[in-house]
Amino acid sequence: MMRKVILLLLLLCFTAHTRGKLHSPPAKPGLTSCRSPEKETFTCWWKPGSDGGLPTTHALYYRKESSETVYECPDYHTAGENSCFFNKNDTSIWVNYNITVVATNALGRAFSDPVEIDVVYIVKPNPPEKVTVTVMEDKGWPFLRVSWEPPHKADTRSGWITLIYELRVKLEEEIDWEMHLAGQQKMFNIFSLRSGGKYLVEVRCKPDHGFWSEWSSTSYIKVPDYFHREKSTWILITVFSTFTFLILMWLLHMNRHNLKHCILPPVPGPKIKGFDKQLLKNGKSNQIFSALVVPDFPPATSSNYEDFQVEYLEVYVRREQELVLEESKDLHNSCLKSESSTSDCDSGRGSCDSHTLLMAKCREAKEGERQTDRECSPMRTEAQRRLKDWEEEALNYAHAGIVSLEMSSGRVKTWPSVFSPLPRYSSSPLDQQSSLQMAKQLSLSTSSYLTQPGHSTKEALGQSYWDLCLSSKQPHLLNPPTPVCRELQAHSDVNISSIGHKRAPAGPRSPALHTTEYVEVQRVDNKDTLLLQPVVQGCGRMGGCFQMPHGEVYSKVKGVDSDNVLLLQREGMGEDRCPCVEQETNEVTGSCHKSCTVSTTQKPSGCIYTAVPVRDEMATMANGYVDTATMCTLHTC
Amino acid sequence: MAHCGGTNGSKLFTMVLYMAAACGAIPISDLLDRASQRSDKLHSLSTTLTQDLDSHFPPIGRVIMPRPSMCHTSSLQTPNDKEQALQVSESDLLSLVRSLLQAWEDPLVVLSTSANTLPHPAQSIISNKIQELQEHSKSLGDGLVVLSGKMAPGAQTISSLPYFGGNDIGQDRISKLINFNFLLSCFRRDSHKIDSFLKILRCRAAKMLPEMC
Repeated sequence: MMRKVILLLLLLCFTAHTRGKLHSPPAKPGLTSCRSPEKETFTCWWKPGSDGGLPTTHALYYRKESSETVYECPDYHTAGENSCFFNKNDTSIWVNYNITVVATNALGRAFSDPVEIDVVYIVKPNPPEKVTVTVMEDKGWPFLRVSWEPPHKADTRSGWITLIYELRVKLEEEIDWEMHLAGQQKMFNIFSLRSGGKYLVEVRCKPDHGFWSEWSSTSYIKVPDYFHREKSTWILITVFSTFTFLILMWLLHMNRHNLKHCILPPVPGPKIKGFDKQLLKNGKSNQIFSALVVPDFPPATSSNYEDFQVEYLEVYVRREQELVLEESKDLHNSCLKSESSTSDCDSGRGSCDSHTLLMAKCREAKEGERQTDRECSPMRTEAQRRLKDWEEEALNYAHAGIVSLEMSSGRVKTWPSVFSPLPRYSSSPLDQQSSLQMAKQLSLSTSSYLTQPGHSTKEALGQSYWDLCLSSKQPHLLNPPTPVCRELQAHSDVNISSIGHKRAPAGPRSPALHTTEYVEVQRVDNKDTLLLQPVVQGCGRMGGCFQMPHGEVYSKVKGVDSDNVLLLQREGMGEDRCPCVEQETNEVTGSCHKSCTVSTTQKPSGCIYTAVPVRDEMATMANGYVDTATMCTLHTC
Repeated sequence: MAHCGGTNGSKLFTMVLYMAAACGAIPISDLLDRASQRSDKLHSLSTTLTQDLDSHFPPIGRVIMPRPSMCHTSSLQTPNDKEQALQVSESDLLSLVRSLLQAWEDPLVVLSTSANTLPHPAQSIISNKIQELQEHSKSLGDGLVVLSGKMAPGAQTISSLPYFGGNDIGQDRISKLINFNFLLSCFRRDSHKIDSFLKILRCRAAKMLPEMC
């Protein structure tokens, strides 16, 4: 019983279900789009809903904006299914259309949502027509010319529709298109083509305020091969580079030796004297090393050894001075040695010829003097005096006649005979030459002591210097040590204290021989001491000026008169600068200075110097050089 | 397309037009070309404005929207289709254009002022574009003055289309938006008319240059 009821119910339900499925009012349709291809007609499409199982009809009704009249679609077929075509007569522009689609079936009807359209806003033209693509050449390079026409329906001629175009290009095998906007023109050129490529071209258009059309049908075009043209360029490049390469190779070949030297420099062979490569390769080590021994190396101590030794000063001086000298010898040594390397060929050195000459002469004089060695006291005193004198003379530049070895620059003087070699102080192996050299050293030393430092500049204040012209074989004599000189100076009785402290600041400096200071003989005092004073020029840096009156201070030995007076001739040249800063000692100097300033303006003034009578030992040289060691001169004007 | 915006462009345009009028050197086709470019820009601006407005428009449906027939320029008789439009003479077309443009001088001011207080998310953008609209409209009007001088006397006729909407576009937010939208739609249509007529005139004047049209 229960089963029957259930079956009946099931049957009823099933029947009802089938019935509902088959019949129902239609679902609401929907307007999909309305489009106008040329702003003169338009078409609307709709999409129908479910039809409810019954045959459903659709109808489109529209209403224009200004009226309430409802019209039905005039043409359902032209545009296809589910469409409504509005022809030109039914189309008004700048008028809103209110369109509705109604679906009707036996059971009911369904209305779509109304749509307001204005024809001018729904313009979507047809694609451009007659798209032609041709290959053209521009100076040998091909390009594509694409041309087309607007869709035939669109009236662009009257300006009703304004269309702008766009085209796209791609190679057949590529994926991405190359877009080009062509504007309102109906023709376009495409460049940069690949030779032998196959291109696809499509065009579309759009009204000024509307939608883009669909792409036109594809146009195919094949670009011809312009490979040969490219090839000719490559051939040219290849030939040119080959030529260049060949030339380079040839150049390298010609210079291969130089190149080899440059890149792979030869290994320097051993350049040891006496080294025999063959011996090295073949011989034994003993032979090799014995071959290396050079017979004359190291140089054995020989007679030349003296040259390297210190030379002792052969000067007979007072005891204090002797001590000083002894001390100074060591310093001399060191100084000399230090100087041995300097080969000073600065100007003002003058020639060295006179040096040897003088040396020879001095040697003679010294020999003569040595004979009188035993006469100690007079000699001593004389030597002492001589030393003093010499020291003073050393300061006194160019007044001594012998010194007037005027060299080319007129400044080189040598005083070889200043010192008389004393047996006590001369080491026996020392020959006279070396003693002479020592003498020179000392003179040099004092002179250099006197020299103004910084003579490197010629225009140094005191161009006073003496350059002892020494041959190159005694280079060590060039720069006597200053401390020695200073000491000498200090201990002398010479009134050169002023000069002394001029020197003092200059002491530690490396003595330069080039600056010389001129001194004038101030006077000779009653002790037969030659008083010197420096020649001052203007302002000096050390409180004393050392001028460089070129010709003024030089004096030549004019002659010796009968009274054994050395007559010096003063040659005044250049400007007259009177020296004499030193005032302290002599009034004579003062007067002398005055007179100096007054006189001697570029004329050689011959001043006659009265000389203190000197010893008879004074000897005049045959050639006119006078040994001023034995005399002193008084400078008077 | 009209690309130079702002007063500089309009001044230049006006100056050129006046110079052309004085010297007669610039042909009408060029003048029309420039005018149509400006009108094109005008319409594009209005279209984008409408889109900006619709982007955040409250879904109220279009039922309560005012009808376009209620635009204050609807009284002006303009051609409704192509045949009608092509039959209108140049001077009449220009007169229509000038009338339409003239009719929007005041309403644009209203739009501009109301855009400053528009309750809309894109209010600033809309306000700027309204400003641009005003400038373009002004420059186009000045240029059209010169153009009309080169045409028949009929071009000088300007129909008066007064705007009675007043300065107030609504009290509440919805009505403000609706009225603003409506006014803008009216302007959009009229700017399209202006653009179309000028382009028709351009093609008519460019008979020597068939490539243009």
